[in-house]
Amino acid sequence: MSTESLLIISGVVLSAVAILVFLIYYLVATKGSVVAEVAEKSGYQDKDVFIRDQTWGKPRYLSWSVLSANDAKSIGLRYIFTSLLFLFLAGAIGVFMRISLVDPNPTIITPIVYNVLLTQHAVLMIYMFALGSAIGLAYYLLPTELRLKRDDLGRYSSFAYWVWLLGGVLFFISQSSMRWYMYPPLSLQMQTYGAGLYNSVGIFAVELIFIGVLMASIIVLRIILIDRSDDIPLSKMPIFAWAMVFTAIMLISSALPLMVGVAMLFYDVFNPIFFLKDPLTFAVIFWFWGHPVVYLAVLPAFGLMYDVITRFTKRPMYSYSSGVFSLGLLMILSELVWGHHLLNSGLGIDWVLFFTTSSFFVAIPSAITIFNMIATLWTAKKIRITTPMLFVLNAILDFTLGGVAGVMLANQSVNEIAHGTYFVTGHFHFIFVGVTLGVFMAIFYLLYPTFSHGRTYDTRLARWHFYFTAVGSFLMSVSWEVGGFIGMPRAVAGYFPQFQPYQDSAILGGVIIGIGQLIFLYNIAKSWSTVPTVDPSNILEYRTETNDPIESSDLGPIAAKEEGGSGV
Amino acid sequence: MNSKTRTELLYVVVVLVVLMAAAGLNIVYVLGHESNIATAKDPSTVPAGSTVINVTGYQWAWQFTYPNGTSSTDVLWVHVNTEYTFQVISKDVIHDLLIPALGLQVYAVPGHPNQVSFSVNKVGSYIFECVEYCGEDHYLMRGTMEVLS
Repeated sequence: MSTESLLIISGVVLSAVAILVFLIYYLVATKGSVVAEVAEKSGYQDKDVFIRDQTWGKPRYLSWSVLSANDAKSIGLRYIFTSLLFLFLAGAIGVFMRISLVDPNPTIITPIVYNVLLTQHAVLMIYMFALGSAIGLAYYLLPTELRLKRDDLGRYSSFAYWVWLLGGVLFFISQSSMRWYMYPPLSLQMQTYGAGLYNSVGIFAVELIFIGVLMASIIVLRIILIDRSDDIPLSKMPIFAWAMVFTAIMLISSALPLMVGVAMLFYDVFNPIFFLKDPLTFAVIFWFWGHPVVYLAVLPAFGLMYDVITRFTKRPMYSYSSGVFSLGLLMILSELVWGHHLLNSGLGIDWVLFFTTSSFFVAIPSAITIFNMIATLWTAKKIRITTPMLFVLNAILDFTLGGVAGVMLANQSVNEIAHGTYFVTGHFHFIFVGVTLGVFMAIFYLLYPTFSHGRTYDTRLARWHFYFTAVGSFLMSVSWEVGGFIGMPRAVAGYFPQFQPYQDSAILGGVIIGIGQLIFLYNIAKSWSTVPTVDPSNILEYRTETNDPIESSDLGPIAAKEEGGSGV
Repeated sequence: MNSKTRTELLYVVVVLVVLMAAAGLNIVYVLGHESNIATAKDPSTVPAGSTVINVTGYQWAWQFTYPNGTSSTDVLWVHVNTEYTFQVISKDVIHDLLIPALGLQVYAVPGHPNQVSFSVNKVGSYIFECVEYCGEDHYLMRGTMEVLS
């Protein structure tokens, strides 16, 4: 492409982005000034304080006003629904990639398009869905769970949200094909055959996403540790709050080195002085962040799983202290295993010894967490199998299967066979689809009457959503693990014909997951067009101590309806 | 000690024992197979009697250069029950050579040559492939290893 056409295209794209940003700003500012006027009439000088007082302690539902209101719950709703949008975008990309592999040679899409989709699926799922939904649920659930004393960082939170969103959108339109690892020298090859013509935008976008999530994590940490009500001591905090403390600490401590690394990589685009001759250094910096981030996707989910299990078994956690302890240990150990992503890259035998051994140890807190959940279920007199509970039970199963595959990979002898193959893809899709997506859906269903201001969803369709997601995810990940173990490489647009059976069954699994999500969309759309009928309050927001026994009267009208098999 | 604490201790101890045993076995494997694990190139650690094959990865093929100066692309010729050492380098971006049947994997990194030793004990034809994403035709960076008697 000539410099002239490059300039024209980038000019048009940048103008379109600028117009879009201005339009959003205009809408938000107009709405903001209207609210400010109402606030002034009610005797408030600060509209944010006005909004907070108006909404405080009440169920906060989805409306366009969350875009201009800066109270914590509105910010939470923004994150939750934006991450849901990105989930469907990246999910559709994922299903499309599966279908494109129906033939061993690329026929439906070219390898270049496949590589762009591969990169977008990973970056959008991890940064925009997994991190976004965790931050969103923290903003949404914690203010009421912890009965915050103050909520005065709304503007910073709002800024963090917009920067994160801008980063995600820019990354999508940059058509980067550097893969989420961003390894140089490939990420510095600004060609369609390399990382894509506009990969500089892609690298910049990743940095924006980092700025957003880092700011939000610091604010979440402050909300939990400083702003929570004085009558909730640390030892009585809900387990989800603990999970978010560890998540935020892990994110803050591991993101900063890579933010510096990404800035250096961005500089390298114009004047390659840092990583071009020494790409392994970047790989090491990347995985210092890259491994903790995969735990960032499951830690909040663990907290929420405890919440759902205790809710539907009417039992306290089997052991609150070991639950908190194992989440904390998970945070520490998971920051010590990142080197296992580079075991075969020639960094030395000592490197291999240290990181394989530490990778075995990271399984200890994971196993304690799972045993704690199983023990809670085991000691329950009655387990109510609702759709959210099904998602959580399936998450326990999938985490165990994916986790065992992870422990297998910690063996150097297995790692040499399976690293870089679909075995690894199967390992983490078991966990990402089973735990990250599954628990998000469980919580979404529980909060849906609140989000929708009192609407109910069709429980039968929700069940089908669960069955399709669980069965599809199992089929897809198992096919990958088996194929990967005999050498089926991942991240490829085509493959040796001998791998066709494994690819075909994974395609079937992927399509089944896709159908499941379409059922979910249909269910939500159908419900949204109905008239609100139920009490929009929900127990997740208002319960404060996961370790206290729960009385059945606490379960609220939603649970009562679910028990009766009708309504929600 | 009440039964709850006992149950907790039980599962913690079981998990610890299983994982520590697995970690121990892994350490024994690593220390016994140092030359079969990819390390930075060092001529002094090439096993005695091992034939050195220079491997170059580039977008998007593998080139093997044998001691007699000949070379082949995307096909590797080796003899059965003979010890070989790969010395691997990349011309452009990071690649990763995997021969699944051998459990042999080594990164090809520009500016950071690696080496790894192996031998094959069965005649036949086996696949190898690049397992580190390296651009447009990454999926075509593959070939076969022909093991001769």
